Amino acid sequence: MKIYTKIKLQCSFLMVMFFLASSNLLAQSDPSGTKRVTGNYAIKNATITTSPGKTISGATIVLKDGLISAVGTNITIPAGTDIINGDSLFIYPGFIDGASSAGISRPADLERPSNFDSSNPSDELAGITPWRNVLDQLDMNSNSINDWRKAGFTIAQMIPDGGMISGKSAIVVFGSPNSTNVLMQNTAVSARFRGSRGMYPGTPLGVMAKFRDVYKNAELSSKHTNLFTSNSGLNRPEINKTLVAMYPVLDKNIPVIFEVSNDLEIRRALRLQKELGFKLVLSGVTEVEKVIQEIKAANATVLLALTLPEDKTKNKSEDLSEEAEGRTNRVKEAYESALKQAGILEKEGVKFGFTTNGSKSGDLMKNIKIMIENGLSEDAALAALTINSAENLGIQKFAGTLDKGKLANMVITTAPLFSEDAQIKHVVADGYVFDYETKAKKASNGNKNGKTSEAVAGTWEYMSETPAGSSGGTMTIGRSGDSYEGTITYDDPSGNGKAEAPMKNIIAKDNALSFSFDVSAGGMEIKVSVSGDISDEKFTGKMSLAEFGSFPLTATKKPNQSNL
Amino acid sequence: MKKLNYILAAFLVMVWMPSKGQTQKGSVLIKNATVITITQGDLEDTDVLVENGIIKKIGKGLTANNVTTVDAKGKYVMPGIIDAHSHVALDAVNEATAPITSEVQMADVVDPYDIGIYRALAGGVTISHAMHGSANAIGGQNITLKHRYGTFNPEDLYMKEAPRTIKFALGENPTRVHGRGKNIQPRTRMGVEAIIRNGFNEALQYKKGWENYQNESKQKGATPIPPKYDGRLQTLVDILDGKVIIHCHSYRADEIYALINTCRDFGITNIVFSHVNEGFKVAPELAEYTMGASVFADWWAYKFEVYYSTAYNAAILTENGVITSINSDSGELIRHLYHEAGKTQRYGQLSDQQALELITINPAKQLGIADKVGSIEEGKQGDLVIFNDHPLSVYAIPQMTFVDGVKYFDIEEDQNDMRISVSAMETVEPIFLKEHDHSCMHGVDFFFTNFGRNLFEHSH
Repeated sequence: MKIYTKIKLQCSFLMVMFFLASSNLLAQSDPSGTKRVTGNYAIKNATITTSPGKTISGATIVLKDGLISAVGTNITIPAGTDIINGDSLFIYPGFIDGASSAGISRPADLERPSNFDSSNPSDELAGITPWRNVLDQLDMNSNSINDWRKAGFTIAQMIPDGGMISGKSAIVVFGSPNSTNVLMQNTAVSARFRGSRGMYPGTPLGVMAKFRDVYKNAELSSKHTNLFTSNSGLNRPEINKTLVAMYPVLDKNIPVIFEVSNDLEIRRALRLQKELGFKLVLSGVTEVEKVIQEIKAANATVLLALTLPEDKTKNKSEDLSEEAEGRTNRVKEAYESALKQAGILEKEGVKFGFTTNGSKSGDLMKNIKIMIENGLSEDAALAALTINSAENLGIQKFAGTLDKGKLANMVITTAPLFSEDAQIKHVVADGYVFDYETKAKKASNGNKNGKTSEAVAGTWEYMSETPAGSSGGTMTIGRSGDSYEGTITYDDPSGNGKAEAPMKNIIAKDNALSFSFDVSAGGMEIKVSVSGDISDEKFTGKMSLAEFGSFPLTATKKPNQSNL
Repeated sequence: MKKLNYILAAFLVMVWMPSKGQTQKGSVLIKNATVITITQGDLEDTDVLVENGIIKKIGKGLTANNVTTVDAKGKYVMPGIIDAHSHVALDAVNEATAPITSEVQMADVVDPYDIGIYRALAGGVTISHAMHGSANAIGGQNITLKHRYGTFNPEDLYMKEAPRTIKFALGENPTRVHGRGKNIQPRTRMGVEAIIRNGFNEALQYKKGWENYQNESKQKGATPIPPKYDGRLQTLVDILDGKVIIHCHSYRADEIYALINTCRDFGITNIVFSHVNEGFKVAPELAEYTMGASVFADWWAYKFEVYYSTAYNAAILTENGVITSINSDSGELIRHLYHEAGKTQRYGQLSDQQALELITINPAKQLGIADKVGSIEEGKQGDLVIFNDHPLSVYAIPQMTFVDGVKYFDIEEDQNDMRISVSAMETVEPIFLKEHDHSCMHGVDFFFTNFGRNLFEHSH
């Protein structure tokens, strides 16, 4: 349904610089006019943390075609480089996500065959699909990936959705929309204690048993294959794609990444690992304190959940019975303990990373700051976001720090990363610069079309829900003097494809945005009015369709990427 | 004041909690008690010394250095109560998706945080047999648990020296779930028997396949192809090889006798029947061919196949020489199995000795652990309960419960909140008893509810 129109470049200070800078590259045919002018940048006079604990002030970093070509002081900037003034900016290595589900869509459930036997379903029906490739489920242009990039993530290991063994993960960089962005494929097999609905295996009991079964038969199948290829007179092995897809796990070339939701599930994964001997990554770890020694003994990789519980006892009533107060205090203790888990991992010397799975990008810095207040050092927090994950994923040769020769992935903030005032101004991923709006410390409610103007201008993708189903399109809003003008695309009611209409009466004030447009359907003009609020580059509102009623409409702003 | 109390309580809990690390073994000297040994009569004014988890000495005037001494004058000490049929401390009970699921292991889903373990300790129960549910003709492998409450690690609860056991189920449950629910075999009692027989026959072929492979592998220069692995059939092979004890959910005499015959055909002697409401009709056969029957004291009529029942069942079975135990199958009944045993004195006039055997040495025999627990004897494990009164008295209340010489329950230190793990996400709400979570048909959808809900409320 969605059609992504090319992002139209908006006025920004970076744009101005593009035109001022000269390019030594010969421009290729580029009718859309969106290709970036140069891949070479230098950020001057910034405070650069090349790796946790290593910070250089007044430093320059030079990026050349996606790689860091120099970093430090006294750097000579080659000709033909865009120079970004880094005064008062802080630069960190781009964050790396050990396990992400951003932009992943769950594969459709299979039709059950007419002779379906719930006690013995096919592997695919039962959610055992280690041969699946996550790249088939991934939409690199999804809003979710945009959100995580905006939060500072530049690389992620993408985990396929599905059943107990869902498929193979891949490592991607959050770079240009015109690239596949794949760094490595088949990096791990993803597993979880998720039973299949109404068939075997339906519970953690069955999942544990079935995992053993798949693993042991993969070993036997591999043995058979080896015998067959090196001897004559043997029956050929029956190739089973489930078992074949497990071979790299048997060889310990890739790990099994187990999604766990509590300490008992961690123990179940460790139990399987101990029996079968595979390399294990635990993803979504919580309550780690209770099982930390066993995790260390198993040498399992820890991906800590970025979610933290809420304090449920915050508003407790004053006159509780002694018994109820005791119970309330236990919940409080559990809450406080949850905040300390990251610090405990650091103290235990576990080089853990994070998984964004199940958490919200908007909570990232808030939660990490809470972890820091509860015993995690800033260096360890940064390491968990960067170098630890690079090492865990085996990509430390080209990612994880801001050293010469590594991929140009970085987070650029207006203040030290974990400080109260820090806001992300740019994220560089794979050498592509993404710009984000930063707010002045105290936002003043300006005059008409004042402060909101920056937030409104740009390209938005919207979705609306109507009884006829969901539909969507793009709104492109630009500034024209004191007012706005724009166009909106929508599903053409007369057939396939998109139609476009000018947006009328665009009014943006404070955080509210409203406009209208006309849709022609069957010779009839229908006036559509949209109004709602903008918060954090998201628009939430309603769409009124003349006499047909109003329906919810949400939109997300595409990042102001200055260099496609 | 409330604060102080709370801090005190938290402190006590922390001291009491054995928590992390190895399975704990304790030492304790219990003095001047009436010791109900079960196997060697009752001993007045007697001391029991447990050292490092093992009963070291039983006698008078015992002393020991650096060992906690408990004065039990006027009190009764008996062996820790053993429940041969329980679903306490399990995260999942039924893998109800196939008629045979012998590959699944209850050990995989033990929940050491279940408050049910502590409640069982408060009822003097030191060992429970955590079983798979009764949805399948052949269910999963059970796990015998010692109630070492306070650990984060499920493996600390495993009684590692106990033999393997497995759940079987006959009658209405497997036929309802699979036959009527999913339209596959078994739909009738005949189908259940066919499933079990076919399973064993397949297991024999499986065993042969692997034996051939092993033998060929020993030949010089041979390159035999390995057969497939099948945890399901391998477990059935282990049953046929006598390595696993069957505990079979059953009610009717005809199907009990039929399974006895099936087992005899396959040379299986390690079988215990559970529930066995019509066991009194086949008592001589149970005595001759099985490891006994584990029954309810007086629980029946919760479905059609459980109407022909009597409270005299345990006594009749006992008098006919059947190894008989009384089990809970419930997180509630497990707290007062000594009362359940006492009912056999009203219905059947069993002696004190016979009645207490039903919850100690007899279930120990059925679980294959009678050489280690189930009676107070020198050299056995230090699983003990101190009662304020004779355990078959209606006034009896357990005072302290020890497992391996470690005290896990003390009525004087019984705090309001004995949970080990509390979720930060839990809003604070009253604690409810959840004994229905611990039943045989846990996790199984009822496919035919038109019979009325009442029929299914007791779901064993």
